[in-house]
Amino acid sequence: MRRLSSLAWRSLSARSVRSFLTIAGVALGVAVLFASLTAGATMDAAVDRAAADEMGRAVLRVQALEERGLSSVAVRAAEQAVGVSVAAPALERKTYLAASPNQTASASLPAPVTVLGIDPGREFALHDMPLASGRLLTATDGQSVLISETMAAQERLGVGDSLSLNGTVAAGPQSFQIVGIVQGDAPVPDAGGRLVFVPLASAQALFGTTGVTRVDLGAQVGISVEALTDQLEKAITSEPYLLSRQADLAGSLRTEMADFRSALLLVAAVVLFAGAFLIFNTLSMTVSERAREVGLLRAAGTTRSQVMSIIMLQALFLGAAGSALGALVGVSVAGLSLSWVQSTGPIALTAPAVSAGSIAIAIVVGLLVTLAASLEPAWRASRIPPVEALHRGPAGMVAGPARLRWLFLVFGVLGVAALAIWPGGSGGSVGAGGSAGGSGMWGPLAVYGLLFLTVLLVPLLLGPLLLVAGIPFRIFRNEERLARSSLARDPSRTTLTAGALVVGLAMVVALGTAAENVRKTGTAWLAETIPGSEVLTSIRPVSTTDPVRAELAAIPGVKSISPIGLFGVPYQGLRQEAAAIVGRDYLADGRLVFVSDGGDRTAALTALDAGGSVVLPESLADQDGIQVGDELTFATGPSSTRLRVAGIVAHSIPSGSEEAILVGWSDATDQFGVAGADFYAVRYAPGQESSSRAALDAAATQYAFEPNSLDRVQGTVGDALDRIFRLLDGLALIAVLVAGLGLVNTYSMSVLERVREIGVLRATGMTSRQVWGMVVMEAGLLGIFGSVVGALVGLIAGALLVGWSSGGFGLAFEPPWVSIAVAVVFGVLVSIVASIYPAGLASRLSIVRALQHE
Amino acid sequence: MTSQPLEEGQVSSRSDGTILEACDLTKSYRLGSRDVEALRGVSLKVRRGEFVALMGPSGSGKSTLLQLLGGLDRPTSGEVVLDGQVISRLGDAQATRLRREKTGFVFQFFNLIPLLDVYENVALPFTIAGEDPRRGDAAARIRDVLEILDLVGREHNRPDQLSAGEQQRVALARALVSRPAILLADEPTGNLDYASGGEILDELWRSCDELGQTIVLVTHDARAAAQADRVLVVGDGKIRDEIELGRRTDRRAGPLIARLAQLGL
Repeated sequence: MRRLSSLAWRSLSARSVRSFLTIAGVALGVAVLFASLTAGATMDAAVDRAAADEMGRAVLRVQALEERGLSSVAVRAAEQAVGVSVAAPALERKTYLAASPNQTASASLPAPVTVLGIDPGREFALHDMPLASGRLLTATDGQSVLISETMAAQERLGVGDSLSLNGTVAAGPQSFQIVGIVQGDAPVPDAGGRLVFVPLASAQALFGTTGVTRVDLGAQVGISVEALTDQLEKAITSEPYLLSRQADLAGSLRTEMADFRSALLLVAAVVLFAGAFLIFNTLSMTVSERAREVGLLRAAGTTRSQVMSIIMLQALFLGAAGSALGALVGVSVAGLSLSWVQSTGPIALTAPAVSAGSIAIAIVVGLLVTLAASLEPAWRASRIPPVEALHRGPAGMVAGPARLRWLFLVFGVLGVAALAIWPGGSGGSVGAGGSAGGSGMWGPLAVYGLLFLTVLLVPLLLGPLLLVAGIPFRIFRNEERLARSSLARDPSRTTLTAGALVVGLAMVVALGTAAENVRKTGTAWLAETIPGSEVLTSIRPVSTTDPVRAELAAIPGVKSISPIGLFGVPYQGLRQEAAAIVGRDYLADGRLVFVSDGGDRTAALTALDAGGSVVLPESLADQDGIQVGDELTFATGPSSTRLRVAGIVAHSIPSGSEEAILVGWSDATDQFGVAGADFYAVRYAPGQESSSRAALDAAATQYAFEPNSLDRVQGTVGDALDRIFRLLDGLALIAVLVAGLGLVNTYSMSVLERVREIGVLRATGMTSRQVWGMVVMEAGLLGIFGSVVGALVGLIAGALLVGWSSGGFGLAFEPPWVSIAVAVVFGVLVSIVASIYPAGLASRLSIVRALQHE
Repeated sequence: MTSQPLEEGQVSSRSDGTILEACDLTKSYRLGSRDVEALRGVSLKVRRGEFVALMGPSGSGKSTLLQLLGGLDRPTSGEVVLDGQVISRLGDAQATRLRREKTGFVFQFFNLIPLLDVYENVALPFTIAGEDPRRGDAAARIRDVLEILDLVGREHNRPDQLSAGEQQRVALARALVSRPAILLADEPTGNLDYASGGEILDELWRSCDELGQTIVLVTHDARAAAQADRVLVVGDGKIRDEIELGRRTDRRAGPLIARLAQLGL
C-alpha cells in the first residue's frame, strides 16, 4: 500500500499546477458548504440568544393584540393567575429624540429610538441588565432613563447627561436624565440597538396611554408552562392577547430565515457539484496521460484493484487537502457572509459559530464528493488493457457518453448529504420553523435536479450550439474552425467542463430571477393596494382626529390624504393582520381589484366606512372557504365582534408576511382599539405632483412623518432583498470560479494534447499570436456556450424558485436582464481568463520541440 | 560572422541563382548539465531548382541543419539567407511570414491535423494566411496539387481514414500547394513501407524536375538521397563531403552507394 501511495503522490506532484487548481476547486466547494453550515448555526444561535435575551427568565409572554395595549385589568389578572411568580409589564413605543435648540432642521429624519417603559423591580427580576456604567432604574425613579451602550455611542451620551424624548403631540417632548448604560444593543431585536428604558408610569404619561404592550411572566417553582397557560386562559377574559414561549419566538424568527438557509445550502451544493467536475476532469486527464504507464504497470503484474487504488488514492490526497483548506477558507467566507447578512436584518449576529460538527460535515462531504467523482476514472484506468495502452497511448483514451454515469453518483451523494443536513430536517429544537424548513426544501431540490438534467443534456446541445457560438469568431476562419474542432475532440471532457460553467451561471441567473420577481411582485402589490403615489410614515400611530391630516390635505395640489392603520386581530385563535382604510378614498382612486365573485365594489367600500363589514384578500377567503355575505367572528375580549364579509379582493395591503383583512376606521377604533394611522397615502391632483411634493414633504417632516414615494418604499423593500440575493449571487459566482479552475485544466490539457499539431501549424506559417488566438477563441466559444445555456436554464430554475417561495403572493415572471448580462459577461470572461495561461504556453512552444513531441 | 560579407553574399546569391545560403552555422544545446554542439560551422549554398540531399548517420546534425535552414529554429551563430532575406536575423513574426510564403515542410511522421479533412489540411497555408481556400487562385492550386498527388476523391477523408502513404502525400501536397521557394523534407520516407516510400520519392523528384521546385531532403537512406542532384554528407556537426550526382533519369542508388563506399561511409 505504501508503494501505491508513493506512486499516487508522484503522479500528483508531476502535474503540480493541475493538482493545485483541483485542490483549490475542492477547497472552494467545501468552504462554501462550511460557510453555509456555519452561517446557519450562527443564525440559530443568534435567534436563540435573541429569544432568550428578549424573554429572560420569563416562561411566558402575554402580548397585546390591540393597539391600545393590555388594560390594567388584564395585567392584574395575569399577575394574580395561579402559578405566576413575577409579572413584568412593559410598554414599547418608537419615537424620536427631540431636537436640541442648537440643532439645525434637517430634511431627513434621524433614526428612531425604541422606548421601553418598565416596572424596574419586576423587570429586573426576570431580565438581567448587565451595566456598562451607572446604575439600574429603581422604583422611585421618575424622569430617569437607562440607555443601551450602542445608542450612547451613537448619540455621544453618558451617565448624568439628559436626553429629550418626543411623546404625543399633546404631551410634547420630555426631558430625562441618564442614570445608567446597559451593555451592548440591549434585548429588543428590532430596536437596532437604539433602546431607552423608562419607568413605566413615565412612558405611559409620555405616550398618553394607560395600557402596556406585554407582560412577561415568571412561573412559581413546580409549575409547568402548560399549567400556567391554562391558568392564564381562565384568568384573562377581558380582552384578546397572544401567549408566546421562548421557543415560539425563536421559531417564528427561524421561519423567516428558512428560505435563505435553504438557498445557501443549494448554492453550496452547486459549488461542490462544480468541484466534482473538476476532480473528475483532473483524474480523467491523469488516466489519459498515463495510459502507457498504467499499461506498463499492468504488464508488470499490477492488479486492476491496485490500479484503481492508485487513482482513488490520488483523489483522496486531493480531497483531503482541498477539504482541509476549504474548512480554513470557510471560516473567512462564513465571517464575510454573516457580516453581510448582519447589515440586512435586525438580528444581532456575533462571530461565526465554528463547531467541530460543521467542520466534520464539510470535510466528510468534500471527501465523499471527491471519491464519488474519482470512481469512474479509477474504474476506467483499471480496465486499460496492458497491450492496448502500450500501443495506442493517450489517443486511445477518448471515452464516450458512458463517462457521464458517474454524475448520478455525485448527484446522489450530494442529494443525500443535503437531506441529512437540511435545516430542520435533522430534528433538534426547531419549533415552528421545522415545517417551513421542510417545505422550503423542495424548491431548491427541484432546481438542483434541473441543473443535473441540464448537464446530462449538454452533449446533445454541444455541437449545434458551438456552431452558433462560433458566428462572432467567423472572421478568424481558420482559428475558429480549429478551436471548434478542438472542443469536439473530446466531447465528454468538453461536456463536463462546460457543465460546471453552466450550473454555476445558471445558479447566478436563477437567483437573479428570484430577486427580480420578488421585487416586481412587491412593487405590483403596493401599486395595486395603496391609494396614492406617496406615503407618509409615522413611527407611532397618528389619531384619525389629529388636525395634521387636514393641514396636509390643504396643501395646494394634494387631492387626498388617506389614513391607513395596521394592526392585529384575534381570528380563530391566531393573530391575523388587518388594515384600517377609508373606503371612499379607494372608491375615488380606483385601487383594489375585486375578484369576479367578490361582491360589488362600490357597495363593499361604502359598507366598510359605514362599519360592521370587512373586505378579505382572496388568499384568506380561499383558504377558509369564505364567501361574500359570510360573517367572521373576532375574539375582542369578553364579547366577540362579528363582521360581515362585504367583498373579496385579489390582493390586499401587505402586512408582515401576509395580506391584511381590510376594516373600516369606525370598526378599527371602536372594536379593535386602533389608536391611529401608521401611514398616510397621498394622492395628488393630476399634474400637480411635482410642484406640490416639496411643500408636502416639508410639512410632513415637521410633524415627524417620513415622506417616501411609493417607488422608494418599493425600493427599500427591494434593497434589503437585493443585499441577501447579492450574497447568494456572490457565493454562486464561486461556483463559476471553480468551473474556471476546471477550464484552466481543460485548456492546458487541450494544448498538451496538440503540441505536435501546434508545431505543424507554426511550421506552416501560423504566427504565435494566431496560436494564442486559437486557444483563446476555444475559450470564448465554450464561454458563450456555457453562458447561453446557463442563462436559459437559470431562468427556468429561477421560475421554479419563485413559484416555490412566492406562496400567496403570486408569480410575476420577469427576466432578470442585469443578472443575465452579469452571468454572460462573467462566464465568457472567466473562460477567456482561464485560457490565458494555456494560450501563452501554446504560443511560446518551441517549434522544433513541438515537432519532436510524442 | 559579421554581416558585411553576408550582404555581399546576398547580392551574389541573386546573380548566381542561389536561393538558400548558410554561412558558418553553429548550434549548441544544453542537455542536462552539459553543452552539446549539434552544428560546428556549416556553410552551404542551394541553387534555385536544385535537389539537395543531406545524408548522415543519426545524431550527425542533419535534422538540426534543416530546421535552421527552414527558420524553425535560430542558430547559435552564423546566418541563413533564404531568397535574399537573412532569416536567422528576423523576429518571430517576420520569420513566420517568411516560412509561410517561402517554405514548405514534410516530416517523417506526416503531422497532419487529425481534426481537419484532406482538403482542409492541404488548404492550411491559405487559411492561415487568411485566404479563402474554396475560391479563386487558392482553390485552383489546391485542385492542381491534389490531382498531381493523386488525392482526388479523398478530399473529405480525415487523416485516420488514409493509409500511411496517402497521409504523406497529403503532407507533401500541403507543402507544395503554396509553391514555396524551397521544400524542406525531413526523412519523409522514414515511416513508410518500401513501395509507399518509393512513390513519395518519385513525387519529390517530379516536382523538382517538372515544376522546378527547390528541395532540401534530409535522409540516412541512400535510395532517397539518390534522387538528389547533389548529396551533402553531414557528420559530427559538419559537412564532411559533397557528392555531385547531377540531374538524371536513372536514379538508382547503386552509383551513390559505391561513391559513399569510396569515401569510407
